[in-house]
Amino acid sequence: MATSVIEVDGVVTRFGSQTVHDGVSFTIGRGELVGLIGGSGTGKSVLLREIIGLQRPSAGSICLLGTDVCKASPPELAAVRRRFGMMFQDGALFSSLDVAHNVAVPLLEHTKLTKDAIWPLVNLRIAQAGLPPDAGAKMPSELSGGMRKRAAIARALALEPEVIFLDEPTSGLDPITARAFDQLMRFLVDDLGITVFLVTHDLDTLLTVVDRLIVLARGKVVGDGPVREIVDLDDPWVRSYFSVRTMAATPSGSEAHGT
Amino acid sequence: MAVTKALDSAAAGRWVSLETSGEGATLHLAGDWRLPSLATLGRALQAARSVRPIVGIDGQALTALDTAGALVMLRHLQSLAVDPSAIAFDNFSPVHRRVVDVVLARLDEITVEPVRHRRGFVAEIGYQTEALGGLLLGHLNFLGYVAGGIGTLVGHPWRLRTQELAAQFEQVGIRAIPVVALVTFLIGVVFAYLLGLQASRYGASIFVVDGVAIGMAREFAPILVAVIIAGRSGAAFTAQLGTMKLTEETDAIRVLGLSLMDVLILPRVFALVIALPLLVFVGNIMSNLGAMAMAAAMLDITPATYLERLSVALSTRHLWVGLAKAPVFALFIAIIGIRMGMTVSRDTRAIGVNTTSTVVQGIVSVILLDALFAVVFQALEI
Repeated sequence: MATSVIEVDGVVTRFGSQTVHDGVSFTIGRGELVGLIGGSGTGKSVLLREIIGLQRPSAGSICLLGTDVCKASPPELAAVRRRFGMMFQDGALFSSLDVAHNVAVPLLEHTKLTKDAIWPLVNLRIAQAGLPPDAGAKMPSELSGGMRKRAAIARALALEPEVIFLDEPTSGLDPITARAFDQLMRFLVDDLGITVFLVTHDLDTLLTVVDRLIVLARGKVVGDGPVREIVDLDDPWVRSYFSVRTMAATPSGSEAHGT
Repeated sequence: MAVTKALDSAAAGRWVSLETSGEGATLHLAGDWRLPSLATLGRALQAARSVRPIVGIDGQALTALDTAGALVMLRHLQSLAVDPSAIAFDNFSPVHRRVVDVVLARLDEITVEPVRHRRGFVAEIGYQTEALGGLLLGHLNFLGYVAGGIGTLVGHPWRLRTQELAAQFEQVGIRAIPVVALVTFLIGVVFAYLLGLQASRYGASIFVVDGVAIGMAREFAPILVAVIIAGRSGAAFTAQLGTMKLTEETDAIRVLGLSLMDVLILPRVFALVIALPLLVFVGNIMSNLGAMAMAAAMLDITPATYLERLSVALSTRHLWVGLAKAPVFALFIAIIGIRMGMTVSRDTRAIGVNTTSTVVQGIVSVILLDALFAVVFQALEI
């Protein structure tokens, strides 16, 4: 089994005359919990969309689970899409289906399992995402923001993905719910062996649960490494980013690590 | 360790084999226990039934195990009335053991079947009736609320948002003229053709003018135009206000100390109540132009003759009957469209559902009202 899950090589993205990415490269290995940070407009979400094949970069290549998503044919892309899960910022749950059916969609679509086999699995996903058992019968509109995100994780987990992408997983959540979400991300990595790649601005998440940080600034990767190294990085943007919170947040840094 | 029992099929043996000893049976799992082969795994476990109670599971030969695979295994144990936590899991790799533990920890939570509330036929009728009753009562309530708003406005006329009213009037009135004109012109053509076919047989071609003019003025122009506007502006009201509610714009308006009644509701109601009679009038003219064109082509009635007959046949009474209905139709369309927009629930799908509902309710209410008018006018002999 290949050890690198995501290989981004020399990605350039231009919108008209505006260059968002100017040669972005990094590699992510199996079982890592990686956070991508960067200021507004540095193209974090664009990069995420490019990695999962929703958008094509202007130049460069992106390899996800051994498939070049920039050159992949639709069937190849469909095959690789069964192997990763994506949680969109506000969940992107299908509003016409209840939570259980939302989670069941990938299973009904991509497996030949009978309904008897699917429902226990759906319930397991709901439990894995930390939702109470009765959440399955609820409609997305009846859920709070945190529960919507958990339901989205449950759906992303449905097909036993090898990688999960999370876009701002803790935005809009209260600190307690957000920390519980951090634990959930750690659980995905430590207990299920899933690679987790997230875009976030939540410093608590970055400083406590993330293994590795990739910093995007001025169209390039300006920092890539363990959180402690990034914090001390000599880059103006990184310095001002962490200056506010480093002092307060570092002491709790080690205890949340389950490993 | 005693006899290793051969399984029914070789295929099942690839995944599970059974070993019985003094204390009971041990299941040996082998191969790739993951989601893609889940159905096969279930069958393999079924095939490996044992008379002796299962006391252990051996995972030495497992090449992969995911939570789905672990779930099938643990549920199989449960179905045999074996407590999975009392089972010895031998020779599992740390990674696989962790997967088993993850599922084991949540096993109690997932045994609940998904609650599917499907109502019975009678219950569904009752539920729908109650929902319809609630909807109509809500509309009535809202009508009263708007009436109250109009009452307040009469006392404080300067609170009328003339700018918003003008903008709405442009949207629902002026911009609707082309579609209203086109549709009523064509209906005039068709109507004249239909009457012409019959009337010319009796040499009564000139009475086509009476038929078209009175029919359009009293009934068809108001209904047609109201139906078009219900689809066009009623739906727009619901979509606009629904989106505003979803994006919390309506809440922002209230927080800023403005009144939804003044800013959103009354301008729309007034705009539609003023615009619809005018659009009906446009419809009257256009349908007669259409009929005039058809009459000239089909029945050799010149436009001059048509107009001359029109002045005799169409008394202003008919015109007023038609025009008087329009504001009432408009009021109902506006009330329905606005209320359906203001009551969308929090999910985005609700806007679509409510918009569709607005159009249906708008059209049905227009036709109901028209029937009511017919009964009343008949009783009053107008």
